Amino acid sequence: MVTLALIRDTFREALARKIFWVLFGLSTLLILFFLFLLRIDIVAGATATVSLFGRQGPADANVDRLVRGVYGGIATFLYTWGMFLAVFASAGLVPSVLEPGRIELLLSKPLSRAHILLGRFAGNVLVVFLNTCYLVLGVWTILGAKTGIWSPGFLIAIATTTFIFAVLLAVVVLIGVTLESAAAATMITVALMIISPILAQTSLMMRLLSSEWSRDLWRVLYYSLPKVYEVGKMTLDAIQSRTFTGYTPIWTSALFGAVMLGAALAIFARRDF
Amino acid sequence: MDSAYAIETQDLTKVYISRWKRREVRAIDGVSLQVRRGAVFGLLGPNGAGKTTFVKTLLSAVRPTRGAALIFGRDASQPEARRPIGYLPENHRFPTYFTGAGMLDFYAALSGVDASRRKKLIPEQLELVGLSQWASMRIGKYSKGMLQRLGLAQALIHSPTILILDEPTDGVDPVGRRQIRDILGGFEQRGVTIFVNSHLLAEVETLCHEVAILDKGKVALSGKMQELTAGKGYRLTVGQPPEALAEELRVRATSMAVRDGLVDFQFPTRELANGALDLLRAQRCEIEALVPTTSTLEEVFVRTVQK
Repeated sequence: MVTLALIRDTFREALARKIFWVLFGLSTLLILFFLFLLRIDIVAGATATVSLFGRQGPADANVDRLVRGVYGGIATFLYTWGMFLAVFASAGLVPSVLEPGRIELLLSKPLSRAHILLGRFAGNVLVVFLNTCYLVLGVWTILGAKTGIWSPGFLIAIATTTFIFAVLLAVVVLIGVTLESAAAATMITVALMIISPILAQTSLMMRLLSSEWSRDLWRVLYYSLPKVYEVGKMTLDAIQSRTFTGYTPIWTSALFGAVMLGAALAIFARRDF
Repeated sequence: MDSAYAIETQDLTKVYISRWKRREVRAIDGVSLQVRRGAVFGLLGPNGAGKTTFVKTLLSAVRPTRGAALIFGRDASQPEARRPIGYLPENHRFPTYFTGAGMLDFYAALSGVDASRRKKLIPEQLELVGLSQWASMRIGKYSKGMLQRLGLAQALIHSPTILILDEPTDGVDPVGRRQIRDILGGFEQRGVTIFVNSHLLAEVETLCHEVAILDKGKVALSGKMQELTAGKGYRLTVGQPPEALAEELRVRATSMAVRDGLVDFQFPTRELANGALDLLRAQRCEIEALVPTTSTLEEVFVRTVQK
């Protein structure tokens, strides 16, 4: 009951922020786009005509490749702009709960501090999870109904997007409880997103870096920071039915998120308000 | 819940250390206080005396550097120890996305009130504080007085056995203040312990039966209101008496003050006042007035913090 109340409170606060409605609105626009504007005629398992905004496109495109291409585009959108908007929107949800006059009242209730913070974390992840489900399931259903191709690989985007968001949210929470600044939380988290594709070039950098210590530093950074880019690439590989090697990006990112959240809980437990 | 005290602190100390200068600030210093079950207790003190820090340690919002804060004998840092507490913070910032009823629902749920009881209790509490017709309005549109009353309803909704109220009538109009006092009176009769932190001395004097005055982080004075304000006596107001007589009366009196060409002598007993009267009459001094007096809490407070 208490956990549910904390999650519902996070939901209410998220819904009171315009940025979450922007996120929801963009998802709705994309769904409407595929529902009304993209028309695909299939004849004998291949696309006879594809029309967009009423204009006809190439007719000889392979349906499967077209659908997977669309899925890849959506997953990339979710991963870049969607993730950025979600982080931006969520950055204020922790500092707001720590405001004087609000936090004392929460702390006066028979709850542990960990419960308060984890309730907020779970509520925030759930908001983004539901929005991701809405977009991915909406597009998947429309394209599946229009083409008859029900590619389950796209649904992985729900899990991977929510997972990486949760990892980044752990950073937002840590910055939130230490600095109480939404702007700082956004900047640091976006920096982690930007640095991720650069760090992913590990094999290239091992050849380019001249000294052993710089290569070690690179490796430390690579293994310790979340692999936003590589998990995104794994999602695209799953959509395209390509195989990927190993789950290192998943578990190292999960470990990073767990350490960040653990640090946030430890700091929050000791703070005076 | 075996303790005789609803609230008890033992050598409670909080030292804040500034991060860069390593400077220590003792917000509260060795405070030992006991608040009996069912008491209406007022905490007073000048700005910066440590009242807010003290209240926050009771709620575990501030961790003590030394000592302990107990609620019904249990360490306040344990979540379960805080279950009997209803708290109204000073300068509260309730989330403005709530409606009045929604806010009560949220905080009651956090206090462990189940959904069916909340459904019953929310209209009752809103009725109690006179906000029934604004139940579905967003609290962002509430006035300060309305927010204060809603805050009180929030503190009461789970039937607490201790109420900790930080400036409970702040921003409330006189009618609302009276209403809040009546509500608290009802809870007092039900045996609820009420702990009030307020700078409104007249209000504390009306409401509370026991007080403690904090000054520079320490308990400067504590006791029953009746005893503390028992500075009963007699104020004798006279025209300018001869200097030697004035000096003699000053020695016998507890205080002497000159105002508008008249001199006020305060005597603790009727005998001393009568003796002074005889001396004045013998020297044909003009007597302006002789009135029985009691110490107000304000006088006690000022005397205590100016020591």
